[in-house]
Amino acid sequence: MFEAPSIGDLNIAATLPATLLALGACIFLLVDLFVPKDRKYITALLAAAGLLTSLVLALLSLMNIIEFGSGETAFAGLYIADQFTDVVNVVVLFTGLMGVLVAYNYLDRIGKQRGEYYYLLLFTTVGVMFMGSAGDLVTVFVALELLSIPLYILSGFRWPQEQSEESALKYFILGAFSSGFLVYGIAMIYGATGTTEFRGIWLAVDEIIAQDLSSKYLLLLGAGLTLVGLGFKVAAVPFHMWTPDVYQGAPTSVVAYMSVAAKVGGFAALVRVFASGMSNFVLDGATAAAWQDTMWLIAALTMILGNLVAIVQTDLKRLFAYSSIAHAGYILTAVAAAGSAAVTNEAAQAVAIYLAAYAFTNIGVFAVIISVEKDDSSNTGLDSLRGMSRTQPLLAASMTLFMFSLTGIPLTAGFVGKWFVFKSAIAADLFPVAVIGVLTSLVSAYYYLRIVWLMYFEEGEPQVYIPWPLASAISLAVVGTLLLGIFPYLLQEMAQDIVLAFGR
Amino acid sequence: MDITIESLVFLIFGALTLGAGVLVVTSRNLFHSGLYLMMSLFGVAGLFVLLAAPLLAGFQVVVYIGAIAILIIVAIMLTPGLTQIKTLFNEQWMVNLAAAVIVFLVLVSVITPLMDDVGVDNWNADFTEDHPKAVAADSMTTLGEQLVDPDYFMLPFEVASVLLMAAMIGAVLLVNPGQAEDESVVPPEGEEV
Repeated sequence: MFEAPSIGDLNIAATLPATLLALGACIFLLVDLFVPKDRKYITALLAAAGLLTSLVLALLSLMNIIEFGSGETAFAGLYIADQFTDVVNVVVLFTGLMGVLVAYNYLDRIGKQRGEYYYLLLFTTVGVMFMGSAGDLVTVFVALELLSIPLYILSGFRWPQEQSEESALKYFILGAFSSGFLVYGIAMIYGATGTTEFRGIWLAVDEIIAQDLSSKYLLLLGAGLTLVGLGFKVAAVPFHMWTPDVYQGAPTSVVAYMSVAAKVGGFAALVRVFASGMSNFVLDGATAAAWQDTMWLIAALTMILGNLVAIVQTDLKRLFAYSSIAHAGYILTAVAAAGSAAVTNEAAQAVAIYLAAYAFTNIGVFAVIISVEKDDSSNTGLDSLRGMSRTQPLLAASMTLFMFSLTGIPLTAGFVGKWFVFKSAIAADLFPVAVIGVLTSLVSAYYYLRIVWLMYFEEGEPQVYIPWPLASAISLAVVGTLLLGIFPYLLQEMAQDIVLAFGR
Repeated sequence: MDITIESLVFLIFGALTLGAGVLVVTSRNLFHSGLYLMMSLFGVAGLFVLLAAPLLAGFQVVVYIGAIAILIIVAIMLTPGLTQIKTLFNEQWMVNLAAAVIVFLVLVSVITPLMDDVGVDNWNADFTEDHPKAVAADSMTTLGEQLVDPDYFMLPFEVASVLLMAAMIGAVLLVNPGQAEDESVVPPEGEEV
């Protein structure tokens, strides 16, 4: 009655970077039991080695030096191993590696040096990787949970400190709430199309549009609910409420990782679901997909609110929480652009480019915040950077570079990201959104450059603590930000093979 | 329309579901609302049985009544101040009503053409014993096979197992009392459970 599945059909090799890391995390979990409490650097090293191995594999696959497995799908189409997957893998694995580097000494300082931190971080990374490569809504949901649940735990890693507990609880409740929206949306999409696989959805949408079936309303509702669920994850307005509180309360090393990884996962899924699965959902002779208007409206709101509220923040962690909301808005602009059939691939490439550029810079920013933070998690106000150029010229210069990159000043990675995002928006006839994006970037210059001003033109004696792992993380971030900024073709080359739209 | 046994049972369970559902949102006592919710969910389980979906009915009872409704009731019992509500808590009932109506209309728009296909007078035709072909023979076995079948949902199944492990680690980590104490006093390795 039941035949044993043959492993050969699965094309497991194509999933090598992700499965290897998942396997590694499970093994480290056991190894960690035998690592004595005062030698947790062994676990940290193992985690870093695991991430590095997967990173190298993903890079090889990205540069098309080795193709793992045969063909672009594995697990009967539930896993897609295309160029987009490779980019997501590389970005998130790099983020994870940086996450381990910034965390090690920080955990020592706050007296929470535990092995669990590292393998929970590995599990989240695996979740993001499966999300970026999902070929099916079921995989998206399970991977989203694998991404989220370890992050809830990591946010509360500093318990019984109240801020950390509050942060974890808020994140958990709102996260679970948003998962509910996502599942409801998935159920509606399944109800309308009869499948959860992106390719099947795409074909079903074609049929719904061609025959003008009434299930288009159900699909619309499903798309909306899915957007709400994923919008929570990427902190898009109006689903951004949790971000400042969670970022402020969670351990800073977790925020450094989370601010990038959760966004990468969320946007990868958004692009897969909307650009890939429903790009042909064009109602009533319109020129673009039905979800495009909603998407660009959310993008515009996110950019405006994130940037305006960031101006009045006095705490660095809250400031960069709003900054990360604003950047979610820029990326959403590209996602909206993907609604125009001719621009779908270009927009997906812009999303990948922006995420890569953002990863380097944002982790660097939080690494600098970690260096000034006191052991009791105080001293994260803007004042803590005052006069930094006197005592720490190199650190101040790095922070300045990150600020330039986040503002989007040429010769930094941030500029390249914004360039491609706004270019795709204009190509999709979303001119007003691109203008809003440029204007809000100007607004953001105010609070980013104020930080530079504080470091260079005001008096102060900031106390910093930079052990070598943190220093190397900041250096890596600086190198990445400069490299991608000066040689934009690196990013372009990386992303140009991304093809998400299904052919007819 | 002929009143068959099926339609009679359907009407009973339908009335139970809807009636209890209305009581959930109108009841002033939050605890009673929780109990009505269980009753409404039970009605839905009955409808699933009627639709020849015993697996879903089982899930409905085990997951919704057995776990979620019980969780809600425990949460209500932990907050005694909320059981007697005198004033309206949620001022946005107009918005909620609009959302409910929209969802209802969408569902109607999808179900109506299906009903036209079957014929309104004949709405339970596919679910009677005369048409057993429309019903999967043994959905439990099918589900179990598809979860480990490479052609279906093997990947989410494996990812879910990793997810459950991560969640378990987190639960152990967050309730481990040894961690709450001062970390500078490190107990000897052997004493940890």
